[in-house]
Amino acid sequence: MTGDAGRHPSADDLVLYHYGEADDRELLEAHLGGCAACRAELGRVRVALAAVPSDEPPDRGADYGARVWERLQPRLDVPGAARPRRPFALRRVLLPVALAASLVLAFLLGRHYPRPGGEATSGPVRERILLVAVGDHLERSQVVLLELLNADPKATLDVSAEQRSAEDLLSANRLYRLAAARTGEPGVARVLEELERVLVEVANGPSELGPEETLALRRRIESQGVLFKVRVVGSQIRERQREAAQGPRKIEL
Amino acid sequence: MEESDADALALARAGDSEGFRVLVERHSRALFRLAYRMTGNEHDAEDVVQEAFLRAYRRLHQYDERARFSSWLHRIAANCAYDLLRVRRRRDEDPWPEGPDAAAAEFPSTEPAPDRLVLSAEVKQRLSVAMSRMSAQEKAAFVLRHFEGMSIAEIGEALELEASATKQSVLRAVRKVRQVLAPAMGLAQ
Repeated sequence: MTGDAGRHPSADDLVLYHYGEADDRELLEAHLGGCAACRAELGRVRVALAAVPSDEPPDRGADYGARVWERLQPRLDVPGAARPRRPFALRRVLLPVALAASLVLAFLLGRHYPRPGGEATSGPVRERILLVAVGDHLERSQVVLLELLNADPKATLDVSAEQRSAEDLLSANRLYRLAAARTGEPGVARVLEELERVLVEVANGPSELGPEETLALRRRIESQGVLFKVRVVGSQIRERQREAAQGPRKIEL
Repeated sequence: MEESDADALALARAGDSEGFRVLVERHSRALFRLAYRMTGNEHDAEDVVQEAFLRAYRRLHQYDERARFSSWLHRIAANCAYDLLRVRRRRDEDPWPEGPDAAAAEFPSTEPAPDRLVLSAEVKQRLSVAMSRMSAQEKAAFVLRHFEGMSIAEIGEALELEASATKQSVLRAVRKVRQVLAPAMGLAQ
């Protein structure tokens, strides 16, 4: 029906009218008011559609929801299933970046502008704080890498949550890499550089990965041994935290 | 959004599985009804319900609270069922011959039945044939429009189709329904 009340509407127009989806409802109603043939046709449309049985599907019982949950719950816990974003996610995500920025800034300022009098607040203490922060950062990065590695390679994967984590980790990672390089920790700086490449790839990639893309990403992570290196550095950092009081030791990879 | 859903959803979004459990238990039966109407069998409908909740869980952060949670969930379930229908029947061409005679030829009798129960049974049988001859897209669009009362815009969003494609799917489905029902009901087209 196109803007002419005198023209008979098609059967399709009448079906859309019946469903309340006609574009020019008023025009159509004006036509129906004066056209017995179209009213009869509309009647036939309505009778036919009203005859479509509305059989209720089989009742699943009152405990159906509980049974669905029982079957569903293990699937929600499998690695790779994206976790819902928490309402305080922004704060959770920004905190590491802000911490990294402040630590790196404090560290660099401390190195370049030592306090008058040369008090020993600087080196060991700042290094220990930085170690703790880098250790936490590596643990969070491991979680993201593990989720990607453990994802079901046969299914299309929604990685939007991991993508956002990667974006946030990336900012902190750059700052820690800078600090590690400047403080004479080439082993840590190198691993952070490799981690950064993976984080960039995840952050800038598509938010949904097909089976082939998932496998390709997994192969790249595995072939570079990034997860393994992150784990090794992470455990060495923890070890260094324990030995911090006994004297400095560099991480070599 | 329903107030009670809002509370459970807030918990679920905070990572509390108890919140999501409440939502699953509350909406499972409605989702099953939708899935059953779209897939036509219990086993597939059960799978659709599982997949729909799994997708919803993974996309909780994408849920826009201006929409009803149940509507959002139904759209996800409709999309899951549509995916399943497409896998079950990869048939691009329109297999249903045009014209009421062709439709009527499928059945032993086109005479109006005297008994309403017999008529009802025949209508059901004819409708079942019409549904089985619909493409996945037509069937999904018709079920969502006719049984679930979703608008064409909502159906398009759920099935990820353009509005014009959605509208045409509904119309083709209705044509098929009318073709098979008209002879049994004495409704000449």
